Amino acid sequence: MKKTFLHDEHIALGAKMVEFGGWEMPVQYKSILDEHKNVRQNVGIFDVSHMGQVFVSGDDALNFLQKIVPQDVAKFSLNHAHYCQLPYSNGTLVDDLIIYKLENKYLIIVNASRREADTDWFKLNSKGFRVNIDDKSDEFSMIALQGSKACDVIEKAGISKENQPKFFTIAQTKLFGIDVYLCRTGYTGEDGFEIICKNENVVEIWRKLIEIGGEFSITPVGLGARDTLRLEAALCLYGSDINEDTTPIEAGLGWSVPKDKKEDYNGKEIILGQLNGEIPLTKKLFAFEMVDKAIARHGADIYIDGKKCGCVTSGSISPTLGKNIGLCLISFEGENANLATSLNTTEKSIGTTVQIMVRNKMYNAKIVKKPFVQKKYVK
Amino acid sequence: MSIQPPEGILCSKSHEWVLDEGDTFKIGLTDYAVEQLGDIVFVELPELDSEFAKGEVFATIESVKAASEIYMPIGGKIVEVNEELINAPELINENVWEKGWLVKVQSDSYAQDSLGLLEYEDYKEETA
Repeated sequence: MKKTFLHDEHIALGAKMVEFGGWEMPVQYKSILDEHKNVRQNVGIFDVSHMGQVFVSGDDALNFLQKIVPQDVAKFSLNHAHYCQLPYSNGTLVDDLIIYKLENKYLIIVNASRREADTDWFKLNSKGFRVNIDDKSDEFSMIALQGSKACDVIEKAGISKENQPKFFTIAQTKLFGIDVYLCRTGYTGEDGFEIICKNENVVEIWRKLIEIGGEFSITPVGLGARDTLRLEAALCLYGSDINEDTTPIEAGLGWSVPKDKKEDYNGKEIILGQLNGEIPLTKKLFAFEMVDKAIARHGADIYIDGKKCGCVTSGSISPTLGKNIGLCLISFEGENANLATSLNTTEKSIGTTVQIMVRNKMYNAKIVKKPFVQKKYVK
Repeated sequence: MSIQPPEGILCSKSHEWVLDEGDTFKIGLTDYAVEQLGDIVFVELPELDSEFAKGEVFATIESVKAASEIYMPIGGKIVEVNEELINAPELINENVWEKGWLVKVQSDSYAQDSLGLLEYEDYKEETA
């Protein structure tokens, strides 16, 4: 199992460590609930060094990226971040990504568990392009600083609020005199930053942020709360809500896919067809809230009118709402073909009652609007 | 969790404790189990009068991350459940030995079933 460069810090802070995507990561320090609430109220610091960093450069970098993501990379502005997907030729997902446009190159953040699949796919698709694909994941570490007081911590670290990168942008700057990429991005639904630095500098940055963050009630936060935070914001997790069987449109990510991109890209026919409604969806990801008292977890079966129609992809409690929530994939095929009409728009689907099987008992839940908790990005 | 466990409890290797209270036996989770589970957010308790053999699943405890089955440390019939836990499962985290108890049972097989159980000090060593 791989260890991040912050491993000893986690142990010293009393973290409980677990395996995640091939990495030994902190799942919690003291309490998942407390860590979750502190990110919603103040600020939390996360080690996300398991995420990968791949740089793409060369004369054909733009054309290469245009081929592999549905988003229109030609429209990306310098120092801006974009949420993108990486589809196979049939439109289903190799991974989901954040792409930053830098000067003369692009920085792609990939999921830890998909790093090899992604780089294999990049290489396979790079034939004929003058492009350098440089997987620097082993050289870089990454810290997330999330919560409404994250900007105060960064200000205390020497970068005034006016000079901090704005929402979904990136700056190459210095933090405590150390070269970093400072990004106004995250995975919690809160305002905040992600800081990418060289491995040898990460301990110093981590310690200093915790030290100066004291007056803003900063706490370290593990993957347990990271999962409940992103679920409340209804952000998909690759491997749970999306995978090699889901397209971006089935996953409800149509908002991120342009209808007018001229260039061809992998899976375009299916993705665009589904987006335009020309190709009917065979399944769709929905958000649900439990009505009865039970927690529906990943893999639990879902029924509508007594017929099995899908399963829970993510399920947990919402510490913010005090309810049990989740995401589920509902099939529109075979016996469930009628659901394609009853659930085909968000408006129609909201309020639909479903039953979820938990430990051999049925519990009522209802389809609700995404996200569960409003995002508090500072734009 | 600085409170000491009640005098005389016996612990199972699956991390439940049982206390002989005369007419009935009180059953709960050990401090070690609670420490491992983290924040407890949901408890499913058995129906009154249901009967379980030693080692059978009688309850489910859910932390934020996962659901865990809880096993009977002795055989018996459920005569009382801790209903406070339904709306306040965090009592298990806060006070595992007193307010965090799960069920009370009547048992005819305690003498035999308790043979494999450990006194708290020995259990503590096993889980150290």
